[in-house]
Amino acid sequence: MEKMKIEKALFATKFRELAFDSLKALFPLKKAGLREIILCYVIPREAVGFVPFGGYLKGEEERLREEVRLRFEDWQAATSEAGIESRVIIELGEPIPKLLSIARREGADLIVAGKKKKALLEKIIGSDTHSIIIKSRIPVLVNKYMVEYEREGERATRVNDRIFENPFIALDWSAPSERAFELLLSLRGILTCAGLIYVISEKDFNGVEEREFERLKAGEKEKLALYSDRLEEAGIRPRAHLLLGRPADEILRAAREFGASMLFMGTTGKGRLEEFALGSVSHEISEGAEFPVLLVP
Amino acid sequence: MESAHELGELLPLWSAFPFAGMLLSIALFPLLAPRFWHSHFGKISALWVLAALLPLIIIYKGLAAREFLHIFIGDYIPFIILLFALYTISGGILLKGTLLGSPSVNAAILITGTVLASWMGTTGAAMLLIRPLLRANAKRKERAFTVVFFIFLVANAGGALTPLGDPPLFLGFLKGVPFFWTFKLFRPMLFLSGILLFIYWIVDSYFFRRQKKLEPQDPHMEPMRVREPIRLYGKRNLVFLAGVIGAVLMSGLADWEELSFLGIHIKLLDLSRDFIIFAMALCSIIFTPAGYREENEFTWFPIKEVAILFAGIFITMAPCLRMLQAGPEGELAFLTRAVTEPYHYFWATGLISSFLDNAPTYMTFLNTSLGTFYPGMEGREAIGLLIRENPLYLEAISAGAVFFGAMSYIGNAPNFMVRSIAEESGVPMPSFFGYMLKYSLGILVPAFILVTLIFF
Repeated sequence: MEKMKIEKALFATKFRELAFDSLKALFPLKKAGLREIILCYVIPREAVGFVPFGGYLKGEEERLREEVRLRFEDWQAATSEAGIESRVIIELGEPIPKLLSIARREGADLIVAGKKKKALLEKIIGSDTHSIIIKSRIPVLVNKYMVEYEREGERATRVNDRIFENPFIALDWSAPSERAFELLLSLRGILTCAGLIYVISEKDFNGVEEREFERLKAGEKEKLALYSDRLEEAGIRPRAHLLLGRPADEILRAAREFGASMLFMGTTGKGRLEEFALGSVSHEISEGAEFPVLLVP
Repeated sequence: MESAHELGELLPLWSAFPFAGMLLSIALFPLLAPRFWHSHFGKISALWVLAALLPLIIIYKGLAAREFLHIFIGDYIPFIILLFALYTISGGILLKGTLLGSPSVNAAILITGTVLASWMGTTGAAMLLIRPLLRANAKRKERAFTVVFFIFLVANAGGALTPLGDPPLFLGFLKGVPFFWTFKLFRPMLFLSGILLFIYWIVDSYFFRRQKKLEPQDPHMEPMRVREPIRLYGKRNLVFLAGVIGAVLMSGLADWEELSFLGIHIKLLDLSRDFIIFAMALCSIIFTPAGYREENEFTWFPIKEVAILFAGIFITMAPCLRMLQAGPEGELAFLTRAVTEPYHYFWATGLISSFLDNAPTYMTFLNTSLGTFYPGMEGREAIGLLIRENPLYLEAISAGAVFFGAMSYIGNAPNFMVRSIAEESGVPMPSFFGYMLKYSLGILVPAFILVTLIFF
């Protein structure tokens, strides 16, 4: 298996508010081996092409390119100050496929995509970030710099500016989950502690006798302990949490309760149809969390 | 209560203004304010729709409302379902392989597109082949004329043979023109395509030889260096396409009972046809690997635009069509009196189709001819008689609408899609007027004169 690491990150942006702050939140990764950030903007084809009965707005494309180039110049100055190399890629096309093909072509180790509050239609058909998560073959960080959320009827705002301070990982013993753990370990240079979460699903628990459940619990605790040991060996202080219930709810609850700064987790890469029929824990969490979520396929 | 036909006699001339406004917006905004138009074309269409709907509904109440509803449900929805299906299905077919843009390869692509256009729609055939054509000619210095001839043949003339080929012919089919009747245009279409291909071959051979002479070492100019074999992916879409053709054919051959919905009579068979066509499009979306569409750089945007604009065109067109159907009793009688001979119809339909979309133009002149020969008679019956007694008029209208769509970038919907894709690929396409002066007046008009002399 290829060693998980983040040396080259593709930062995709639509220049939404706070996108620059979101970029700066990645700078600590330099100490964990991040060499280069590719600043990427895809000009949506429909912004300049297919003018009804008109054709193509060449001038508009050039104007957009120049505008984006100038914005990226400031961003490049900041990445350079942080000691990280940067490159700018501005291409035209269908944003999601184009972004994924750029990531493949450039050999990126991580795609960083922003997340905004969802409109009603996106809740039904999924957002651009959701499409990236489903289709990407490399890890995707769903970055959320400032999030407004509601908790127990109260509205609150959370700023995720120190995302590597207290990361958590949700484990399910699958291969993607193992890769997510490897990626977490690769950040040892910047992590001091990390939380581990495993949720015994209701499905596994229902109808199981008490003795058998105790055995199950002991087995999972043992596995968690092995992962904790691996963290400790890497110099990262572990905190393991074994939970019982509906995985998505429990992971979100625990991450909130213990102040997770971000969450790592594996994703099985279900297609839209399969996801619609069966549901996806990783999707539910990446949508519902008010902290960044790093999904590893 | 007045009938829908009597409405045609009652309608004032100003009720045609929103239609004229709609068509002029399509013609002028992309030229004069393309950025504004790109962002606001939906709102502009909505404005013309309201200008058409509100006064007539206030004055004629239920009668006008039923007329608008009839044209929307009976004409617009089947029309847009067919366009959507052909666009979706053809977008799932991917042609890959390395081709050298030599005169023979280019001509082969043009001929293939011309043949396919009648079966998968001019839009479908154009979208399938424009990118392979551009890739094949990426190293050619002179490429714009190839794209222009592609617009002439694949995006327009090729669609003349079946109602699937070009939107105006499908509208004719919906109104009662039999599916296979359109084959009558085979001879003029073959003649026109032959002339255009012959001219293309001469011009392309000249430029190809010239470039080879100037750059003899360029490996891209070597004959047929095929690096990646030519392959067609997403072939299952051909089955879905056959499903669409079958559904359209079925609706023209059988006769089932009618349903009544909000006072609008809908044939059960037409409903089934639209359902099958829509299902074929859905099958294409579900069963085509997403990668094929991605490689085709497929986007829903153009079909969304067409759906929005045509909603405006159909609604604003309704009063005009009724006035024309009323013949000498309607306010547009001057138009029915002005065009009398088949060649009048060919050129009048054609010249208007050159600058305004050809689908509404076809409907306008079809109704003009019906108003002239059979004033007051209901559509299907009148069309049946026109085909039996004066078929040359319908041939002239159909050929004019399809062929002249190539005269400008705004004559037919696929023209602007092809232009957009070509310009995005860096082809220096001629300007709006450059296209017309250099190509339309220089090549198409003389060809149309010959078509007139021989066929109309």
